[in-house]
Amino acid sequence: MHRETVENVAFRAGYLAILTFMLLPLAVVVATSFEASGQLLFPPENYSLVHYRTFFEETTWLSAFDNSLLVGTGTTVVATTLGVTAAFGHELDDGRTGQLLAPLVLVPLLIPPIILGISMRVYFVRAGLNASFLSIILAHTLWATPLVYFVMRSVFSRFDWQLLDAAKDLGAGPIQSFAYAVLPNVKHGIFVGALLAFIVSLQEFVMALFLSSHSTETIPVVAWTALRQSLDPMVSVVSTFLILISIVAIVAATVATNLEWLSKQLS
Amino acid sequence: MSEITLDGLAKRYGEELAVEDVSVTIDDGELLCLLGPSGSGKSTTLRMLAGLETPTDGEIRIDDEDVTDRPAYERTTATVFQDWALFPHKSVLENVAFGLKMQGVGKEERRERAREMLERVRMTDHADDDPMNLSGGQKQRVALARSLAVNPDVLLLDEPLSNLDKRLSEDMQIELREIHAELEETFVHVTHDQDEAFTLADRIGIMADGNLVQVGEPNEVYQNPKNRFIEGFLGDTNFVEGVVDRTSPDAVRVETELGREVVVPTSNPDALDAGDAVSLSLRPEALSIESADAGLEADEAGQPVRTDGSTTNSVVGTVESVLYRGSTVRYSVAVEGTSVFAERTVSDSGEFETGDEIRISWDGADVLAFRDDGSRVDL
Repeated sequence: MHRETVENVAFRAGYLAILTFMLLPLAVVVATSFEASGQLLFPPENYSLVHYRTFFEETTWLSAFDNSLLVGTGTTVVATTLGVTAAFGHELDDGRTGQLLAPLVLVPLLIPPIILGISMRVYFVRAGLNASFLSIILAHTLWATPLVYFVMRSVFSRFDWQLLDAAKDLGAGPIQSFAYAVLPNVKHGIFVGALLAFIVSLQEFVMALFLSSHSTETIPVVAWTALRQSLDPMVSVVSTFLILISIVAIVAATVATNLEWLSKQLS
Repeated sequence: MSEITLDGLAKRYGEELAVEDVSVTIDDGELLCLLGPSGSGKSTTLRMLAGLETPTDGEIRIDDEDVTDRPAYERTTATVFQDWALFPHKSVLENVAFGLKMQGVGKEERRERAREMLERVRMTDHADDDPMNLSGGQKQRVALARSLAVNPDVLLLDEPLSNLDKRLSEDMQIELREIHAELEETFVHVTHDQDEAFTLADRIGIMADGNLVQVGEPNEVYQNPKNRFIEGFLGDTNFVEGVVDRTSPDAVRVETELGREVVVPTSNPDALDAGDAVSLSLRPEALSIESADAGLEADEAGQPVRTDGSTTNSVVGTVESVLYRGSTVRYSVAVEGTSVFAERTVSDSGEFETGDEIRISWDGADVLAFRDDGSRVDL
């Protein structure tokens, strides 16, 4: 074998090992959810779906799922709208305001979530929005918007701006030219940005803990409460569902972004 | 009727001056070529005409209506872009129909009109194709059809031929001329290619450093360049530097780097004074070459002035290199340490080789003279 081939194989093997090592805890979590007893054991001694049945019987968990989906969807809509339009505006006008925008958008990501959570709780109580879904959505939006913004910056940097000129030149106003010339060419990027926003919201715990009430608790908050009481396989069941949602979302994104490519290959 | 007036048009990007002062009136139905090297401000001028850039200063009027602050989508101009800017997610037909869709034309009608346009540019067969799969020439035709479909008062062309190969570009030039003749619309065409400008234009506007330096018919611009920049830009020429030795009522005698005096006939002897620095332009088409031992006896005393008033000048030099350029052969000739080039067509009798001594001669009346600051001397 060539030296290069050997090096390649070695590199790939090493890479695979690291990846496996990092993903193994996920496997452990999924496995422990099938334990029949009330204890968290790995490997499970007796396999059973008993905790899955309990999950579907417990309203706390089910309503937490609903809450998480609601907050996630809300965050996705608001953060994607803000992030996409901000990145678009920045591309059109790269003046002094634009140069200030990027670091400014980044600020929420640099502040520890616990600080954000406490200060937002104080703020929302004053604003009369305490313990509402809206307060959690706005908090998550603060985190998700920068991510969408930076994804879109990179998407727009590859966009052919002459297309926007061409659309305007042919009589398309600001909204029409965006809808007809820009949107169809960046829709994959927007989808990826939206997905990121959704996943961030789905996983976020600290701010949600400060801002939720009993009726607005999201999955991580309920999981935290349950964990504090006892370490049982129910937490693993919930985690398994969270992992599943993330995988489904990523697969959906991959399919969506490659659908055109796929249809071209098939035709 | 679409007469366009540009009045003191200027565009600044921060500190950078893209267009300094452009004022011109473009007649209705005229094809004006803005010709200039890259960075001369010609594309920026066109984009201001289209409404895609807002002028920092000055005014644009179309048919006496001030459109300076009107956005692109409210102007009756249509642009063919350099990279054609076809919408990648739309079919060729949808691309052509886009402008009509924006005008609110119904689906059936706009499809029909788009088809007519595709027919005009002979692209009907590609109506349902993905524009990304077309060749450069085909994209160019679709872009043209798309712009013409909105029936613009003014068609703006931003170097649309510069990405095509020479042959295709020349074919398109002829086609553009035909379309222009047929439509009788006002066209403004931006290019850096002199041949393209001369082929297409009713009038040429030459731009340099953000200024419109000279506007005129191709012939006039070529015969009467306003300054040294234009003379150098419009075609290859030999610039010979010199100093005026003396002037007489009918001729200026210039001591040049060719090692001898060059006599230029003049009817305006006051235009130059002895001691003035001048550059003389010896265009290759004005130069004739022959073997050094044939023809005129070298007149060491000075250049002879013929009885009919024309002046024949000649110098002798050594052929440095021979360059075959298709139908012409270019000789680079060393004369007294400087180099002069002359051309002859392949069919001309006699061929020279590197090292041959040849005599280059020209009629003094064909020489253009420029002052130190680049301005033309009115001889």
